[in-house]
Amino acid sequence: MKDIKFKTTSITIIILLTIIWLLPIYAMINTSIKTQEEVAKQEYLKLPKKVQIGNFINAFKALKRGLLNSIVITLPSTFICIFLGSLAGFFLTMFDFKPSKIVFFCIVFATFLPYQIVLIPITRFLSTLKLLNSYGGLILIYVILNLPMGTLITATFFMKVPVDFQEAASIEGCKSFTFYRRILIPLSIPGLISASILVFVQIYNEFLLAIALTRGPKVKPVMPILAELKGAQIAQWNIQMAGAVFVAFIPLAVFIILSEYFVSGLMAGYGKE
Amino acid sequence: MKYNKKEGFFYLTPVLILVAVLYGMIIWNLVASFTGWEGMRATWKFAGFENFIHLGQLRRFWVNVKNNFIWLFVFILPTTLLGYVLAYLFLNLKRIERVFRQIFLFPMALSFIVSGSLWAWMYDPSSGVINSVLRVFSINTSKFGWIANPKGAIFCMIFAAFWQYLGFTFVIYSGAIRGISFDMVEAANMDGAGHFRILFQIIFPNLGHGTLICTTMLAITSMKVFDLVWIMTQGGPGIKTEVLPYLMYRLTFSQHNVGMGAAVSVVILILSGGIIIPYSLWAIKKWVS
Repeated sequence: MKDIKFKTTSITIIILLTIIWLLPIYAMINTSIKTQEEVAKQEYLKLPKKVQIGNFINAFKALKRGLLNSIVITLPSTFICIFLGSLAGFFLTMFDFKPSKIVFFCIVFATFLPYQIVLIPITRFLSTLKLLNSYGGLILIYVILNLPMGTLITATFFMKVPVDFQEAASIEGCKSFTFYRRILIPLSIPGLISASILVFVQIYNEFLLAIALTRGPKVKPVMPILAELKGAQIAQWNIQMAGAVFVAFIPLAVFIILSEYFVSGLMAGYGKE
Repeated sequence: MKYNKKEGFFYLTPVLILVAVLYGMIIWNLVASFTGWEGMRATWKFAGFENFIHLGQLRRFWVNVKNNFIWLFVFILPTTLLGYVLAYLFLNLKRIERVFRQIFLFPMALSFIVSGSLWAWMYDPSSGVINSVLRVFSINTSKFGWIANPKGAIFCMIFAAFWQYLGFTFVIYSGAIRGISFDMVEAANMDGAGHFRILFQIIFPNLGHGTLICTTMLAITSMKVFDLVWIMTQGGPGIKTEVLPYLMYRLTFSQHNVGMGAAVSVVILILSGGIIIPYSLWAIKKWVS
């Protein structure tokens, strides 16, 4: 009796929360396919008479350069982060090195550091290197800031590789790099995918550095451009929402297709093994 | 048998160099906060604690500090609590957990700029979603300003972050709950303990790690919140939703008062350091074992 009551209450709470969680997204997608006249009626939850893709064409025109910039910046940054991070993660998990505790502390601390703390030095650093407002500059900074996280997550996954493997390999005379390339990396592919997704989404969604380090449309990533679109299209909710849907498409697609990896990356990145 | 460290520095060096650059920048920023640097050119004129004293005299600074602390408490408590309760509810509903996990977790994949645009529209007093739905039920919405209401704006914004992060605490707690032994829970159930007691007196004290991870991550998020403020309110109405990271950006890039901006980032460093350092020490202990 008590159990049935509990189950009903749980399901009621869950359904209620589900509505709250999905309603904004429903309204967002629904409005992004409406005309301005339909939007003006403010019946946001009512389905449109006819699906309009015009808003998306407008959003695409406004955001395509930014999207391209974001991809050009995010992909190499993610790759470099995971590659260098996995090298360091390999060292920290499989090498006998006393101060690795201190190194590890410095890396964890850096992983969670708010970007504001180094924002001013970053601008000076890039302007000294003449890399302000360039792909190279943004990639360099994103690598520096996300490398600690890349190291941390890959190291967490490497710890799951049984010690026996490494012992057997080194008795067989397997060089460390051969072990890394032939055994560790192939065994850790799921972990590396998780780490890449997390770093990719983080860089793609980043906003503070994207506005602070770019001027003009040439290299500006898509997030600041979406923010500008919001400012320019006051109360034109259909265009704003089409832009938001358009920009959110890549990370959401990654999340939906690879959500198991996303979850295990979150767990690894935030301390649970 | 671990590998010899000598051949291994090849692996560590790139990360070591780049992390060293990062720490160099932190120190650089610390030094800059003691200079009277204004304008675009670097002026390394030592000014002692002048920036900090000046900051302490600004009412705006203290309002920002207060707002960061409102974030800290109002954001962390409901997000961890509800995430935990959800994880518990799904213990008996394993079959459907996977689907619902997606529903609560997908906002984590969105940028604050996307979720901020969405929620700014939800809350818009004249043509927003919430008020337009309320009007359907012929509720007079003229007094619901949501994001435009000076008293409520910051809470509306925190709700948007809550919407985005609930899935995170839910996932972390689901993992943590699975790790504990259920004999105690069974025993308590036999003794006739209610769900509330099981939830808070029996399971909760054994979830140390889960709670530590959730509260630390949410606390850091509330110390660095910037994008949501930028996109939803620009700090308004007045400075009711302005927080330190936003002030830091304004001082540095709009008013070109770099010394003061650096001083604000040092305050952010101290506040977030107080959160990150204990967490890092704990993470090391766990790492070594």
